[in-house]
Amino acid sequence: MIRSIPLAAAAVLALSACSPSNTEKAGAPAGSGELNLYTARHYDADLALYELFTKETGIKVNRIEGNPDQLIARMTSEGASSPADVFLAADAGALWRAQNANLLQPTSSPALEAAIPANLREPEGRWFGFSRRARIVAYDPAKVRPEEIDTYEEIASPRFRKKLCVRSADSVYNLSLVGALIEAWGPQKAGDWVKGVVANMARPPEGGDRDQIRAVGAGVCEIALTNSYYYIRMAGGGDVKDKAVTDKVKLAFPSLDGQGAHVNISGGGVAANAPNRENAVRFLEFLASPEAQKIVAEKNSEFTANPAVPAPAPVDAYAGFTANPMSVSAYGPRQSEAQSLMSAAGWR
Amino acid sequence: MTQVWRSGVSGSPLRLLALLAAALAILPLAGVVAAAFSGQATADIAARDLSRYALSSIALSAGVALSTAVLGTVAAWLVAMHRFPGRDLFAWALALPLAIPAFSVAYAYADFLDVAGDLRTWMRGAWGTDLPLNMRTLGGATFVLSCAFYPYVYLAMRAAFMNQSVQALEAARMLGCSPGQAVLHAALPLCRPALAAGVALAVMETLADYGAVQFLGVQTLTTGVVRAWFVYGSLTSAAQFALPLMAAAAVLLWIERSGRRGRSHDGANVRWRRLEASPLKGPRALVATGFCLTLLTVGFLLPAAWLGLAAMGVTPEWPRLLRAASHSVALASAGAVATVFLAALLALGAGRLPVTARLASLGYATPGAVMAIGLLAPAAVFWKIAPGGSASLWVGLTLLIFAYAARLMAAALEPIEAGLSRVTPSMVAAARNLGRSEVGAALAVQAPVARGALLTALLLVFIDVLKELPATLILRPFNFDTLAVMADNYARDERLANAGWPALLVVAAALPVVVWLTRRITVSRPGEDTP
Repeated sequence: MIRSIPLAAAAVLALSACSPSNTEKAGAPAGSGELNLYTARHYDADLALYELFTKETGIKVNRIEGNPDQLIARMTSEGASSPADVFLAADAGALWRAQNANLLQPTSSPALEAAIPANLREPEGRWFGFSRRARIVAYDPAKVRPEEIDTYEEIASPRFRKKLCVRSADSVYNLSLVGALIEAWGPQKAGDWVKGVVANMARPPEGGDRDQIRAVGAGVCEIALTNSYYYIRMAGGGDVKDKAVTDKVKLAFPSLDGQGAHVNISGGGVAANAPNRENAVRFLEFLASPEAQKIVAEKNSEFTANPAVPAPAPVDAYAGFTANPMSVSAYGPRQSEAQSLMSAAGWR
Repeated sequence: MTQVWRSGVSGSPLRLLALLAAALAILPLAGVVAAAFSGQATADIAARDLSRYALSSIALSAGVALSTAVLGTVAAWLVAMHRFPGRDLFAWALALPLAIPAFSVAYAYADFLDVAGDLRTWMRGAWGTDLPLNMRTLGGATFVLSCAFYPYVYLAMRAAFMNQSVQALEAARMLGCSPGQAVLHAALPLCRPALAAGVALAVMETLADYGAVQFLGVQTLTTGVVRAWFVYGSLTSAAQFALPLMAAAAVLLWIERSGRRGRSHDGANVRWRRLEASPLKGPRALVATGFCLTLLTVGFLLPAAWLGLAAMGVTPEWPRLLRAASHSVALASAGAVATVFLAALLALGAGRLPVTARLASLGYATPGAVMAIGLLAPAAVFWKIAPGGSASLWVGLTLLIFAYAARLMAAALEPIEAGLSRVTPSMVAAARNLGRSEVGAALAVQAPVARGALLTALLLVFIDVLKELPATLILRPFNFDTLAVMADNYARDERLANAGWPALLVVAAALPVVVWLTRRITVSRPGEDTP
């Protein structure tokens, strides 16, 4: 203990030394020109976005990144004293859970309503989608013809017995997809589809979406479910081996009931107790603006949510697909039902 | 149990301080129990799934226990009792995996042995088939965690082998045992307590692991907790699934303590003579060197090299990385000081509060996801009453340091209790007779004697905080990334190459500490002033 006294002093000094610099001050009280962001997105592209926002508005962005549900639990614990102004998540289901926990407040902004199509936002403005990702199929063109996978039903058809790679049922992207299928087809048909998928698995679910695409390239399976941006990143990215995989593996956009591919969003809303509410709305409007939309699409290979903003390269090569017009706010309420169906079918 | 001076005064300041320290550590666990019994459990997780999770938790723990026991014991036996090429190097190098977070080992092996990775692609090209070396399975996770955690058994067993007197072995030889039989029938049984303690630590780390198992997608009881919380949005259900995990943690702690109790026959009472290491020659020496080299390669060199290679392909963002590194090191230092301070208070009072001390250790074996639930309850109070609340940097840092102390109390308590056990009651009584107060005697007699143990505890907690994920993720203040958090962010975004740099910096920060720690233990001999 005697020895630990100088050590304690050293530790305190060390902590003071690492206090955030001027550019990165800690959370701010109301009206001080700052914005406190709780974000479940953890992409480098987002840092560029925050910098641009600060440059344009002079509002400093403070952020805490984390798993969406941990952030939701933290906001719930903080209660009315929560410093959160904006909550961002990369799944419509997670946004719904935040909404369901009464952590988001309705926002009415003509700019947001004009920029973001109605099916990509919560009807009362509790959250808005700012980028889109399609959950679609990567396939091996040497073994599969594109017309064999132009519907979601075909993914679960006997044609692909033991030929499908897919990640675990823990993935929110799978949960939202099955949630959407329940919404479209009802639990009976969606349940059959889930059983078909389990029967089609070439291996027990493992790894992330990129691993599924690589497995198609390695011949483990013929088709794989993936989010669009993983493939697009691999195709355009710096990794030579991943680039080579995408030369052998193609992307198909199956259609749900003839209306287009299942689309999920990244989005956010104003926190229920936001101390800097005006800044929060300004930030959301900024995210819907053409320049922010372009950064997200370019740097994170996602599709823009604002239809007025054309997709920049490299995403433009894939942006011509038809997106299903289903409201993304339908996914969240269906997620636990989806989990139960998947669990009953043995989708781990 | 630790022998400390027993006071008749029930309200003595030391006892009160010890109780306070314990209360801080127990608070998050009480938070989990409270969460389990408040609100409605709404997660509809099938019983079939739950039993599958439980089975894989048990299989994973058993697998790690068995393999760390064998690997750690063989390595310790070779290094402590033999001479062969490279032994002096292996003596400390075999502890190096402690410097690599288990989640980084998982990234490395999952990627290296992926079906689409270079190795297996080459196998399919060359042999027409490949070995099913999949790391994203129960077997794979067992392998990864064994690589990461065998040093706990190795260090415990090496100390035990070195501390045992040659007399037991000589007696066994004189009674007609071959050298091999002497080891089997005399040396190993004498070291059983150390083995139990080392294996218990490895299994506790396995249960508490958050990043590795999560990344490998192996579904254990922790998955049930996470699913109940994240998919069904039910903290109550999550806390209920956490209760059996906490019970398992308690059982492990109990095993570990019983292991300590058996140390009375570790040769301290007989006349101690240094064990002469027997030289190995020819093929035997080759096998010994080969074994240690393989273990070192698999546990440290290979994952570290993979991290290095992955990092090479990515241009590091130095400003962000260095800021995260300074955060990590500062938090680890402050966390270590706070934890050791509290653990020392607890250890001084532990003789009178044995059950309390064990309860306070429970956080160490409690799964990270569970601890996160428990920490939110005390944090909520703190966020609401502290000036600046959750937005304040200092509130956030204080909470984090509290979380580390609650989680890592056992890591500090173990060496400190061992160190304090060398202070006899009469030593303290002498100081009291000379007019010292109870606290004065603790400062004048107990703390100096246990100085080495306090330093060991500081180093152990420092390393653990560097690698800590779940508490840091949920409680950190604004704009405050640590290296572990950065690595985890990249890994969750499936950008493993980018995770290389932060993971490598964790290793760089932990490495000198691990080496120093191991060398301290290497030079220690019974009767000397080291733990």
